[in-house]
Amino acid sequence: MEELEDLKQIWKNHGQGYAPKKESEIALMLQGKSNSIISKLKRNVWVELIFTIACSIALGVYTFTLEAGAIMWTIISLLVLFAAYLFYYVKKLMLLGRFDASDGNMKSSLENLYKKLSVYISFYRKSYAVLYPVYFFLGIFFGALDTGFEGFLTRMKDPKTVVLLVAVTGSFFVFTFIATNFYLKKLYGNHLAKLRELLDELQG
Amino acid sequence: MTQEQEKSFVTLINENQGLIHKVCILYETDKELRNDLFQEIVLQLWKSFPTFRGEAKITTWMYRIALNTAISGLRKLGRKIKTEELEEFHFNISDHSEDHFEEDFKKLQWAIRQLSEIERAMIMMALDEVPYDEIAENIGITQNNVRVRMNRIREKIRHLIR
Repeated sequence: MEELEDLKQIWKNHGQGYAPKKESEIALMLQGKSNSIISKLKRNVWVELIFTIACSIALGVYTFTLEAGAIMWTIISLLVLFAAYLFYYVKKLMLLGRFDASDGNMKSSLENLYKKLSVYISFYRKSYAVLYPVYFFLGIFFGALDTGFEGFLTRMKDPKTVVLLVAVTGSFFVFTFIATNFYLKKLYGNHLAKLRELLDELQG
Repeated sequence: MTQEQEKSFVTLINENQGLIHKVCILYETDKELRNDLFQEIVLQLWKSFPTFRGEAKITTWMYRIALNTAISGLRKLGRKIKTEELEEFHFNISDHSEDHFEEDFKKLQWAIRQLSEIERAMIMMALDEVPYDEIAENIGITQNNVRVRMNRIREKIRHLIR
């Protein structure tokens, strides 16, 4: 049973060791959804994109009913943030769109996949590195609006407040950086490591 | 794509579905995951169908897509190891009523599953009489490399099913 010819014989003799699919079943599969993680990610991003657009429209319409004031500016800030999110989602979809089935050889497909997944993860990390500071800035901005700019400026003259703010900002950034990296590693780390392993084996 | 294209694609898959089943059997041990992989391979083949111009053999094209889909790892991970362990356990205590061929096939299947994913792809093509130059082309390595690796794979299998 050791030699290749013997193994081929065993392989062939087994014949149809599976339940064959009917043509109608195969045709039905073409209407199905892809189970790949990329397809799921695409669907999730689309849902988030549609939700963001719907919220933007609703908030935009609501803004017209408001008089100029803190609430109106808060909503406008949110709309600006949502606009940034639209670009973010579109860019994400564009990156995910590049993960198409490859009919190239295994090595080049794995290399492409590894490169594209790395780019996607890097974009994910960078975008969060930008979005979290925006959230932080908005938090301070709304706080200032709530207490009045004059009171806020007076408090900022106190060195203790400035030191505290810098410390909180630093801790916030370090925490979000670690959390984002942990989340990304949990989501995609295994896939990247697996792809790297396969490539190393092919190159070895 | 037109209905005619869809029909010819379905016929093509139907005629060559054995190849997809074999890939699924070697890369997924869980029945449900195997069905998922089958559907995923069919979908990827369907996506790639318009670019298939018949320059390569149909089986070469199918092998490429099927193996790329199975190996790329962008499917569900996690449950695999547990099922594989169970399968191995089941194999070790396999019922003796199985006929000779079935037993040999199960042994071979088990041994192939112990190999790395790339080695599995190579031995599978070799067992299906795919010539070494085509295996080299599909994997993206040289023919010499295929020969060396195939010798190693044979050694491993010999050791596993001894």
